[in-house]
Amino acid sequence: METETRILLADDHNILRDGMRLLLERQPGFMVVGEAADGREAVELAREHRPDVVVIDIAMPNMNGIEATRRMVEKNSRIGVVILSMHYDESYVIRSLKAGARAYLLKDAVKAELIGAIHAVVDGRSYFSPKISRILQEDYVQILGRKSADDTYELLTDREREVLQLVAEGKTNKEIANTLHLSLYTVDTHRTHILQKLNLHSVPEVILYAVRKGIIS
Amino acid sequence: MRQRPWLVLVAGFGGLLLLMAAAETGALLSLKSLRGSETSLQARFLSRNRTLEQIRSNLYLSGTYARDSLLAPEQSGAQAQIVALENLRRDTEAALETYAQSLEPEEASPFRALRSEIDAYWRVLNRTFAWTPEERNKFRYAFFYEELIPRRTSMLQIADRVAALNEQALRRGDETLGAVFGRLQVGLQAMIAFTLLGGASLAGLTIFHILRLERQAGLRLTETEQAQASLQELSAKLVRAQENERRALSRELHDEIGQSFSAVLLEAENLLDLEPAPAVRAHLESIRSVAEKGMNEIRNMALLLRPSMLDDFGLVPALDWQARETAKRSGMRVHVTSELDDELPEEHKTCIYRVVQEALNNCSRHAQASMVQVVVRGETGRILLSVQDDGSGFDTQRVRGLGLLGMEERVRHLGGSFAIDSHAGRGTRLEIALPIATWNGNGNGNGNSHPAG
Repeated sequence: METETRILLADDHNILRDGMRLLLERQPGFMVVGEAADGREAVELAREHRPDVVVIDIAMPNMNGIEATRRMVEKNSRIGVVILSMHYDESYVIRSLKAGARAYLLKDAVKAELIGAIHAVVDGRSYFSPKISRILQEDYVQILGRKSADDTYELLTDREREVLQLVAEGKTNKEIANTLHLSLYTVDTHRTHILQKLNLHSVPEVILYAVRKGIIS
Repeated sequence: MRQRPWLVLVAGFGGLLLLMAAAETGALLSLKSLRGSETSLQARFLSRNRTLEQIRSNLYLSGTYARDSLLAPEQSGAQAQIVALENLRRDTEAALETYAQSLEPEEASPFRALRSEIDAYWRVLNRTFAWTPEERNKFRYAFFYEELIPRRTSMLQIADRVAALNEQALRRGDETLGAVFGRLQVGLQAMIAFTLLGGASLAGLTIFHILRLERQAGLRLTETEQAQASLQELSAKLVRAQENERRALSRELHDEIGQSFSAVLLEAENLLDLEPAPAVRAHLESIRSVAEKGMNEIRNMALLLRPSMLDDFGLVPALDWQARETAKRSGMRVHVTSELDDELPEEHKTCIYRVVQEALNNCSRHAQASMVQVVVRGETGRILLSVQDDGSGFDTQRVRGLGLLGMEERVRHLGGSFAIDSHAGRGTRLEIALPIATWNGNGNGNGNSHPAG
């Protein structure tokens, strides 16, 4: 990936888009290929320009950012979507992840974190604002601390914990197999066990779980 | 009549009763006096009649004594008869005096005639007392048949006339009494008719008045019911309007003002990148921190007004958020269990969310609970919500705060039921059930769900 990273910006506020463009174009290797003012436009521009990364707000007219993300990822699973939002709550995080986003940034941390987040999704990793990670972990500890009996993480084997972290980082089964020198079948079995033991049902839930537990950030 | 119906009724019925009592007393008194008059009339007639009879019999007897004195051979025998005659005369005079005391006007002239006849009769008789036996022998037959008998007959005739007049007086008295009795009868009849009429009209008036009161009460009841219904409708409208306003405000704050703050923040940071002079840098840092603070405040304010998850994702994410917020703020454990797969209509969703919000508020503020369990379930045709805490509980009969009333009101607007079960020291359980026509528990969409936005 020596070529420039092509970026699409989607936000209904001009000033914010301008600010982001200014910020990103100062970075070597980044190129803003389009700007959209709503979700529908974002989906169209993504089809037209085939960007590597889309930075998208959730609250937008016509079509919200989560729905737009779902459609863009549906068309191009390699696209790296960075959600940029004012929402702290886990319901927004989990739905963004389920729609296929790989990074979740809070708007008060654009300057400090946007570039790092884009690098992460280009590398195929997840990224969450530290503030979000902290809140999710606090909430989790809050709930867990009061029903101490079921910290399901204790049920996992060391190997399963390794696999869990790699899944949460967005790695495919094949990449995990290569990294840990295991067969594809073994990785799949581990994955199934992890989901069962933790009572999780999808990769986004695994990611959220990992963030809450502080396994990834 | 409207202000004092009881006064009118008391006056009406009381007056009627008094009237009846007065009429009855009057009639009784009249009857008594009538009876008295009749008795005295009879007694007067009888005593006068008796006096007349005595006069008549004295006159008869005087004839007999006179004849005997005329026929007596001896002077001494005649003298005895004369003494008896003198006695008869005094007796008769006394009877005449008695009768004269109660003389009817029309009797006056026949009575005067009777009296002078009798006087003349005695004078004629007196003449015979001085007769010698020879004179008696010589004149007795002539005197007896030509003088005494005709005079006696004439006197008796006059006495008969007086007696007839006496009888007439009795008849007249009877007639007068009859007339008085007739008047009394007419008066009584009139009184009965009047009382009946008065009673009937009073009863009619009372019935009319009661019917009118009843009609007015009915009208007032209908008015009250209508007012209550429109009040309820109004309060439902108010609740809806308030909720719409909150949603609009929350969105506006979050999407416009909050985003503007974030743009300001980014611009300030971009400027800081340009390595400005230290004085400018200080200002930019200050702008950045103000914008950051503003963003956080706006976000919290928006969430407090109405959490965006409620409109973006639905009830359960909003309840989860509320539970976490309450837990963080109060230290209570809050569990939300939901079996709803489907999104609810807007009003139901908002109602349940607000009820839970208020209940959690109560739990953390008043109940000193350590654990709260919120359960939302769907059944065919209805949604059930329960909120159970392990706090201090309260007396549901005595405590009825504005919060509880507001909850109940919201639930009632949607035709739902609302129940609170609480005992001091044993926690509180709140249960509501909302009917929902198109709901089949947890199945298909009901066409009313809101797209995440």
